[in-house]
Amino acid sequence: MTYIDKTGIIASALSEVIMMRKLAPLFCLLAMTAQAVQLQVSDPEGNPIPQAMVTRTPLDTPTPDLSDDGYAPDGITNTAAVTVTRFTNTQGQVDIAREGKYSYRVRAQGFKDNYSNSAVGNLKLSPMNSQELIASYPSNVWLSQLAFGGDHALKEVFQLNCSFCHQQASPFMRNERTVEQWVSVIERMNTYGARLPEDDIQPVAELLQKEYRGLRENPEQVPAPRRWETHLAAIEMTEWPIGDGFSQMHDFLLHPNGFVYVGDNLFDRLYEIDPKTGEYTVYKVPHEEDARVGGILGNRFTLFPKMQNYMGVHSFAYSKKDGNIFITPSLQQALLEFDVTTKKFITHEMSAGLYPHTIRTDEQDRIWFTLALSSQVAMFDRESAEFTLYDLPARGIQEWLVLKALPALFLLDPEDRPLPSADRDSTGLPMPYGIDVAPDGGIWVARLYANDLAHIEPDTGEITMIDFPYSGPRRLRADANGNIWIVAFQNSLLVKYDPISKDFTDYELPVINELPYALNVDRDRGTVWVNGNQSDTIMSFDIATEGWKVFPMPRQRFFTRDIEISEQDGAVYTTNSHFPTWQSEGATPTLLRITPLAD
Amino acid sequence: MRLLAATALALYSLTGWAQGWPFYGGNSGGTHYSAAAQIDRNNVDQLEVAWIHRSGDSKLPDHLLQKTSGQSTPILLPPEAGASLVYCSALNKVMALDPGSGAQRWAHDPKINVQTERPLRCRGVSYYEEKRVTPGEHCRHRIFTITYDRRLIALDALDGKRCKDFGNKGEVGQFGNDMSTDYISNSSPPVAAAGLIIAGSAVIDFHYAKAPRGTVQAFDSLTGKLTWSFDPVAGLKNSGGANVWAPMSIDENLNLLYLPTSAASPDYYGVNRPGDNGYANSVVALDLQSGEVRWHFQHVRHDLWDYDSPAQPILFDWKKNGASIPALAQPTKQGFVFVLDRRTGESLWEITEQPVPPSQIPGEMAATTQPKPIAPPPLLDTFLTPDQAWGLTPWDRGQCAKKLKELDSLGLFTPLSEKLTLLLPGSLGGANWGGGAVLADSGILILNINTAPFTGQLIATASIPPPEAGGDHPTSGQRFQVPMKGTPYTVELGTLVSSLGIPCSAPPWGKLMAVDLVKGKILWEAALGSVHEMGPFPLPFHIEWGTPNLGGGIATAGGLFFIGATMDRQLRAFDVSNGETLWRYTLPVDAAATPMTYTYRGRQYLVINAGGHFMFNREQSDYLFAFALPEN
Repeated sequence: MTYIDKTGIIASALSEVIMMRKLAPLFCLLAMTAQAVQLQVSDPEGNPIPQAMVTRTPLDTPTPDLSDDGYAPDGITNTAAVTVTRFTNTQGQVDIAREGKYSYRVRAQGFKDNYSNSAVGNLKLSPMNSQELIASYPSNVWLSQLAFGGDHALKEVFQLNCSFCHQQASPFMRNERTVEQWVSVIERMNTYGARLPEDDIQPVAELLQKEYRGLRENPEQVPAPRRWETHLAAIEMTEWPIGDGFSQMHDFLLHPNGFVYVGDNLFDRLYEIDPKTGEYTVYKVPHEEDARVGGILGNRFTLFPKMQNYMGVHSFAYSKKDGNIFITPSLQQALLEFDVTTKKFITHEMSAGLYPHTIRTDEQDRIWFTLALSSQVAMFDRESAEFTLYDLPARGIQEWLVLKALPALFLLDPEDRPLPSADRDSTGLPMPYGIDVAPDGGIWVARLYANDLAHIEPDTGEITMIDFPYSGPRRLRADANGNIWIVAFQNSLLVKYDPISKDFTDYELPVINELPYALNVDRDRGTVWVNGNQSDTIMSFDIATEGWKVFPMPRQRFFTRDIEISEQDGAVYTTNSHFPTWQSEGATPTLLRITPLAD
Repeated sequence: MRLLAATALALYSLTGWAQGWPFYGGNSGGTHYSAAAQIDRNNVDQLEVAWIHRSGDSKLPDHLLQKTSGQSTPILLPPEAGASLVYCSALNKVMALDPGSGAQRWAHDPKINVQTERPLRCRGVSYYEEKRVTPGEHCRHRIFTITYDRRLIALDALDGKRCKDFGNKGEVGQFGNDMSTDYISNSSPPVAAAGLIIAGSAVIDFHYAKAPRGTVQAFDSLTGKLTWSFDPVAGLKNSGGANVWAPMSIDENLNLLYLPTSAASPDYYGVNRPGDNGYANSVVALDLQSGEVRWHFQHVRHDLWDYDSPAQPILFDWKKNGASIPALAQPTKQGFVFVLDRRTGESLWEITEQPVPPSQIPGEMAATTQPKPIAPPPLLDTFLTPDQAWGLTPWDRGQCAKKLKELDSLGLFTPLSEKLTLLLPGSLGGANWGGGAVLADSGILILNINTAPFTGQLIATASIPPPEAGGDHPTSGQRFQVPMKGTPYTVELGTLVSSLGIPCSAPPWGKLMAVDLVKGKILWEAALGSVHEMGPFPLPFHIEWGTPNLGGGIATAGGLFFIGATMDRQLRAFDVSNGETLWRYTLPVDAAATPMTYTYRGRQYLVINAGGHFMFNREQSDYLFAFALPEN
């Protein structure tokens, strides 16, 4: 039962005025505050609900031109239906209503969502019943209770292979399935790119069937997710829905020209978004006429109705010299350059190297990126237009042989290319993944499957390998002091590496069983921002105080892979990159910004 | 005292597992269960034919016979109503038989209009004791039947003569009886309770955007006067359908009528019917007396797959942790069994909102999520990848893998597009109108389902020549096109088979499953049917790979589950504890009907209508077989 009662808020404001009469200097400020607060959110007894999330969605937006197979044609500008989210303060109040036609959704932990076309007056939320409450918990708390029969190593293998696309314990996943149905799901996922070892498929299927059922029958075992906290009242979230349920907005770039560039990884499109107006222009990445869907890796998604990833728009960095954007096309032996002035793409062909992955630029206008499959790092010198490849060492002779054989294997048609079956010791390849340029110009690389770090001295090309004493280093970033921050995916940890002392320090994440995909460092403010993908959150870590803040995302099944930070105001951007996107709430990918509210 | 007696009677009709069979589904809650235990696991292999009755349909001209499908489940009348076994033929002839000998006592031929392109069928009749008629007077005990051409007829149970006090000379026209039977007809029996006789309809909902509306009507069981009607697509002016073609259930204690509603029209395109389409694809609980909606549970939002509610809602008691909740189980085509509190419509298992793929058809706003019970598990795997392609030889397996590779498929609820898309399950189900049986008070459901994959796509009607008339479901390996008039598209449907005509998925292609609705798990499953008659020529031995199946089964206290339904002319008995086949009998033609059982003069009979499979292009005929153990 919910209702809006304007009299309550008026009475509340009046009593405030009477109480504050003697505090004349503060009166004006309080009166202004009372005037600005438009929505009071309470429980059925009238107690205010702090940290209620209120999202404003416009109902009148121009009809977009989506005439190119459901997407905007190349060069066409559309306007996104921009949503704004704020949180109630400790008094349960929030200023969110605006003139015009909007829909408002109010969400609070433990209460049923409320939808309305108004956000003024009093709103009482109805509490969830126990079943609804537990069902509302995000994936990570459910996942935390999957013990895999005490086989911790098996759980790590499962999480490594099965949690880099979607939330594992979402309602979609934790449905009752027979063991045979789980086996079928896992085998299908292995054809899409997961590499769960064959020997583990049956045990994992049996454990998922057994342990999900156990949790369903004993829901009290599932811990409550972390409570939303008071800092949320001081921020605003803005979301730009772009693409559709088939898209995947992977990485993106906050550009000094004021635009945000987001890549649709599955449809070879670059979205140029103007955050000030909500307008976005789509640029299609060109490909060779004889290019195939899936590029040189081959199409793993033949059953999908739509897929146009000839190039695979993956990671972004811009030149500090002219602002041009460099993009790793993960499905080709090439580097893409986007001229931000002419809006044209330039393709720089490479003669070697496989799976261009994460990309960064340095102060010398050199472009550095990992080559995930061939275990290399590439450097593109813009002046000479030449690539230099740095071979990262194999972990043994067998791996060395495989790496050396890759170019020959890639001469074969993808359909005929042999794919060795995965086992726990050999998940395939070392997989250089994240990369960053430290303040001293040094290049740092994380190898996901090898669990090690590489340091490249750019002027000499000297490579130093460092064992990473944790599991799953996906992406890393350097802070202002040259410390390297790394996420340990399977360990649910944030890890700092001090290159001087050579010490690792780990920090537990503030939410349970999160599997952090990436991170970024706000060097100016000394903050590390960590991507969440199982808990519907992103997290900030203050380096000085070692304190965490958690930011709940406004949509359920919000899977983030990249973070960008505005140097000017510290605003933080991320994208909802769940795959498939239609499993995310709202079924549309979004670019999201968190902005501090003005005092 | 009268209240107590009425309650006792209601309880008996709902859950009293008697040894009679007074309702189409065994009782008014469609549990398909009998307390008869004379035939049991130990002696079922001794069953023999007790008698055979022929309705006479086999003497019809070939062109008419080929359109018939004997799908009737007889009912056994109580002694005061004559103790006859009453059933109907595909042409709606109602016949009363001696339950012990099969001798015909009376028959009534309503002489229906047979000018139709559609299959003729009649799944059963209903009995009602009209207490406003003095005992001993004509038509105190009534048989109600709805004809294919939309007439509701009341007959005296004792002599088969029309009830003159009912409507016009014993009949009233049903909603849509002014239209061709190619638009609206009938399949399931009406239901009777509380002085009302209530009927749904069979609407041809895939040919037309604005098909006839799926209006349910309730008539005074004495006079035939229309008491109330319910339009499940009220508010959808450019659509129709959402009719109730499967049997309804009644809980007189709760004064509730449960409607299994179908899709709004047309089945595979919904631009003309934006939104969830409210009462379509639902279980709708109506107040029995007023027809007002008390609750509804929609199991498919904005249907684009022809996932009608295909089966009678099964009423049973859900006993867990010492509590007993009046429950309802709804098997569905999409392969879920929803278990609801039948007082409120709330699911007894958590419903998860399953995110589903969007549509690529211009203007089509597919639902972003669909409800899925967190338990029991889906009854079939709804994915089929090229790696999982199946064939008898590497050649046809390769063919299937190639076909699958070229298909679009994102699993259950992938909307059809202009490209060929996998439909798994297809419109045949999953579950279909055979429904299932709940074993006494155990909460164990046994049901038959289909697993063979279909494919479909939408083709711009303007781009192709007008297609020849097609069917409802591509059950026999054919492909056909159906223009969806009032939309820009023609839907093309077909089974996914190799050049050998063999499904591209691994067998079984039809199966029987036991599902514990309380524990939320599948207990066992077994192949249902042999494919030995499905090839170009019959084989002399059985190959139990399961066949597509239509028609239901029944369970008994003898620990047995009886079912025909398959494309191999077999009537089988399974052990309910493990799915083992204990007995089978070869009928002259397929039995696409649900059997029934009763005990008469101390002898338990098992009866099934064997009329062939119209939908599967199998031979038709007009048999009613009764089996029993040898006397002595």
